[in-house]
Amino acid sequence: MRLSNGAETAAISAAALLATLVLFGGFVALHGLNPFQVYGVLYLGAFGTWFSLQQTLTQAAPVMLTALCTALPARAGLLVIGGEGALVVGGVATVLVGVALAGAPPPLAIALMCLGGALAGGLWIGAAGALRQFRGVNETISTLLLNYIAIAVMNHLVTGPIRDFAQVLKPASWSIGEAFMLGEIPGTSIHWGLALGVVACLAAWVLMRHTTFGFGVDILGGNVRAARMAGLPIARMVLLTCFLGGGAAGLAGAIEIVAVHGFASSSLAVGFGYAGILVAFLSRQNPLAVVFIAVLLGGISASGGLVQRRFGLPDAATLVLQGTLFVVVLASNTLYGRLRAARVA
Amino acid sequence: MSEVGWWGVLIAVVGGAIRVSTPYLFVSLGETLTEKSGRVNLGLEGTLVMGAMSGYAVAHLTGSPWLGVLVAGMAGATFGLAHGAICNLPRVNDIAVGIALFLLGTGLAFHLGKPFIEPSAPRLPHFALGAWSASPQVRAALEINALFVVGLVLAPLLLWGLRNTRWGLVVRTVGDNSDAARALGYSAEQVRAMATMAGGFLAGVGGSFLSLYYPGTWNEGLSSGQGLMAIALVIFARWNPMHCFWVSLLFGGATALGPALQSIGITTHYYLLNAAPYALTLVLLVWSSSTRHTLVGAPSELRISR
Amino acid sequence: MTAAVPPPVEIVGMSKRFGALTALADVSLRLPPGSFHALLGENGAGKSTLVKCVMGYYRPDAGRVLVDGREYAITNPRQAHELGFGMVYQHFTLVPSMTVLENLVLGRADLPAVIRWDDERARLEAFLGRMPFTVSLDRPVAALAAGEKQKLEILQQLSLGRRVLILDEPTSVLTLEEADQILGVLREMTEERRLTVVLITHKFREVQAFAREVTVLRFGRDVGGGLVTDLTRDDLVRMMIGTAAVPEAAARAPIAERPVALEVRDLTVASDRGVEAVRGVSLAVRSGEIVGVAGVSGNGQRELVEVLAGQRRSESGEIRVAGAPCRRTRVEMRRRGVFALTEEPLRNACVPAMSVAENLAFRTFDDPRLIRTGVFVSRRALRAEARELIARYGIRCQGPDARLETLSGGNVQRTLLARELSGDVAVLIAHNPCAGLDFAATTEIRARIVRARNGGAAVLLLSEDLDELLELSDRIAVMFEGRFVYETPREAADPHVIGRHMVSHG
Repeated sequence: MRLSNGAETAAISAAALLATLVLFGGFVALHGLNPFQVYGVLYLGAFGTWFSLQQTLTQAAPVMLTALCTALPARAGLLVIGGEGALVVGGVATVLVGVALAGAPPPLAIALMCLGGALAGGLWIGAAGALRQFRGVNETISTLLLNYIAIAVMNHLVTGPIRDFAQVLKPASWSIGEAFMLGEIPGTSIHWGLALGVVACLAAWVLMRHTTFGFGVDILGGNVRAARMAGLPIARMVLLTCFLGGGAAGLAGAIEIVAVHGFASSSLAVGFGYAGILVAFLSRQNPLAVVFIAVLLGGISASGGLVQRRFGLPDAATLVLQGTLFVVVLASNTLYGRLRAARVA
Repeated sequence: MSEVGWWGVLIAVVGGAIRVSTPYLFVSLGETLTEKSGRVNLGLEGTLVMGAMSGYAVAHLTGSPWLGVLVAGMAGATFGLAHGAICNLPRVNDIAVGIALFLLGTGLAFHLGKPFIEPSAPRLPHFALGAWSASPQVRAALEINALFVVGLVLAPLLLWGLRNTRWGLVVRTVGDNSDAARALGYSAEQVRAMATMAGGFLAGVGGSFLSLYYPGTWNEGLSSGQGLMAIALVIFARWNPMHCFWVSLLFGGATALGPALQSIGITTHYYLLNAAPYALTLVLLVWSSSTRHTLVGAPSELRISR
Repeated sequence: MTAAVPPPVEIVGMSKRFGALTALADVSLRLPPGSFHALLGENGAGKSTLVKCVMGYYRPDAGRVLVDGREYAITNPRQAHELGFGMVYQHFTLVPSMTVLENLVLGRADLPAVIRWDDERARLEAFLGRMPFTVSLDRPVAALAAGEKQKLEILQQLSLGRRVLILDEPTSVLTLEEADQILGVLREMTEERRLTVVLITHKFREVQAFAREVTVLRFGRDVGGGLVTDLTRDDLVRMMIGTAAVPEAAARAPIAERPVALEVRDLTVASDRGVEAVRGVSLAVRSGEIVGVAGVSGNGQRELVEVLAGQRRSESGEIRVAGAPCRRTRVEMRRRGVFALTEEPLRNACVPAMSVAENLAFRTFDDPRLIRTGVFVSRRALRAEARELIARYGIRCQGPDARLETLSGGNVQRTLLARELSGDVAVLIAHNPCAGLDFAATTEIRARIVRARNGGAAVLLLSEDLDELLELSDRIAVMFEGRFVYETPREAADPHVIGRHMVSHG
């Protein structure tokens, strides 16, 4: 899944992007619209104004982190789709920590809350990794099931044991209080969660591309037999990558509490996890690329409203664009290795 | 008073099981066929939603719910074929493709379905087996919808087909030992694409149930993950169509248990009950998996069973 | 299934090339009805290629197939089947989850849309009644023993009316008794003229006990053959492995009495299927010595190498390096200087998608020399190190960042050599290091192995190429059916004796 030859990646990615634009353009043309006009508005709604840029970045923040939940284990050869569940679990844990720490100095509380959320998410996915390593349970299925279990547990808690009856709009948990909310980046209306997301991705990139641990994981993901021959600690690598990936998604959940809502509710499970899977694949599991792809996809989502207002196109059109992009990129994977004849030195 | 209450719960669960299990049944039968050929289709959620939307739309436009069901099936078949064809390309990850088509299908369905959220469409017929009763609960519970009956016939038929027809044997061969299939002259890729297409058809039909019977409307919150749940269901049912029938009823009943209990005042653990099918499947998986061998009953070529 | 006599078959002048490799050159075979013809030869001699051409899996470059005097062009397996040819492979083409009955029915060419199981069952029971051995129809194939599976494969071919049966090393997964039973039955059927059998094997016992004629292939050519009764084992060995002249030994420094560097005690290893592949093997290799292990592949070599290289767990037994037990962890293997050249490097020892530089660093990426601070890998140092190795070992590639999968086979092997031999080698395990390589690469790799040996490394060299072993080894052992059955110092090595031990008991 990981390539070190930049030119081929760039060429095929560009081709995929082009094919997507053409396909979506055709789709849009069927509505009687001019594709280029639509693209223009898409750009406007994503990056064209300061307002839309902020929207985009806000949307991108959680997805950057849930993407790591898929990307990091993928580098070790596992296919984990449990970002949604880990995020939810992280959010609930954050609320519990926050409420338990009521009265503590806010910076400390916020730090511990984020840590708690990350830890919960890490254990959640780490459990799936352990099941895979020691019981042979397929991690795609187990994390899929864990998603549903996590959401159900969250709903149960939020409508029961930790419910705040003062909230009338929808069932919600106790609030962590205004004091514990993470503020916005000065001069913008983007919360600091974005910075956390970018830092996490950077740290992940450094870890995976520049440390001995990351190198070992690359070998494991590339050929498990070679990893065994090199005497690498496979169980440890599997568990750690799952833990770190889950931790990132848990952190996303913590940010949703600490920077956006202040309490847990069903608004935690809105698809950030699944969007993260998409971003991870589009970034070819590279944590640095995740930042940019997450922003790109955030842009597409954010521009949905504007596209709808301007053209009367349902905002689900952006979902169609994302889905098409995903399918085309996955299908283009078959081109790798075909464009260049194997050089016989 | 509580006497009637608990009876009411039981009847509600039975009725709910029959009602709610129908989409599970169709999707799981379809996925069983697909997985028997050695492929896993995670895109069924998108197919399901697409089926729901297209079925509703066609029923509204033509006035015939059955025509809606047919078109829903065909929409599902198209998605299934897309999945099968793309996954046949070398180096393509079929699990990721499934998720991609799930997103695409959902998006397309929401997009094309916007005009149909308000209007109403004719409902699928049902057999009122409870007409003899004075109690409205009993009458409601014993309304057996027509698609359930179709599914009731389809499950044993699929089982019979897998065991007794040429194509059933070929599908099973492709899924268990694709080298053997090739040695016999069958193209594993083609068979898988066909099986995925058929699976998609059934999933589309299952989706049409949601919009044309229960809940009986089209909107964007219609599906609650039945498509993805089917993957777990098929594993729980050990890839056996008749087991799919019973497990669908089980899962449907579990889902109906929550609202039924709520109606007599028991509201705790509602969501946990909803999670029961997933937790059960996970427990089953953990119990029956091993690092040394594949899941018993799983087609050997299936990636998720390795 | 009819009682018809198999037709006379003649294969004339079969030739097949794969790129630069001549797999088959002008081989002819006569198969009169009811003959039992053995095809003997080492790995890569062309036996499989020949039968695959006849069966329609390959298109031969030249050659004809005549059945009953008429020439046929066989372009796909279906045509071969229609002519009555059937093939039984080493790996099973059965469907594990289905029953015997289902598998037998599955192979029918004219399978009806709806299967009437009662009719099929009756038909097959009648057929099985006429067969000298049988398998219970309702058992799931996954529950059958290897011998029963092989019988089922044969029965399947016979039930489909195949009258010329080609068997490709069918007894490799069977016990002695099972092998004898199956081959005995087949022999009887040929005597009754119900069947013609072509048996690909490397076991002399089978050739001499069951076959009537034999053809020996070597490097794709027919180098001899005839009636089995006219040939002795020595004749056959000589044909199989070529002239009796022992190859020129590589220049080597004399070994003084050196300490034992690698010791294996009573090692038992299970194969993937759970069968014992290595049965209580004990051996000792001194530093500065090359111990060669001869044997046909499939006798436990792969499992032995995998255990020594750390890729597989043993069931029992001990591995000692320099007198102390050695665990197969990264730290220990590096400290003790244990390295391995596995066969099929792209599959077993490298990551094809990673670059040459990265592949070169598998053993050393966490070495303090390459680590900048703490845990960070210096990619620059990695690349510099790689450039040095690329130059020293002559790896032809587009540069250290080229993906390994873009290199030719010889250069992949050179990469593996560079990685494994450039450290402080105390123990080297090598498995078919020159397989599939050209003459230049082969010579170079052999020279490097000898140089390692001269530098004090203890080398365990497993190879299917007897010439290679004779050229390089100080001592030669033979591995047969999971055991070491023979050993000789190089000076006393007689290729025929060795060859005999490779293929039979005693």
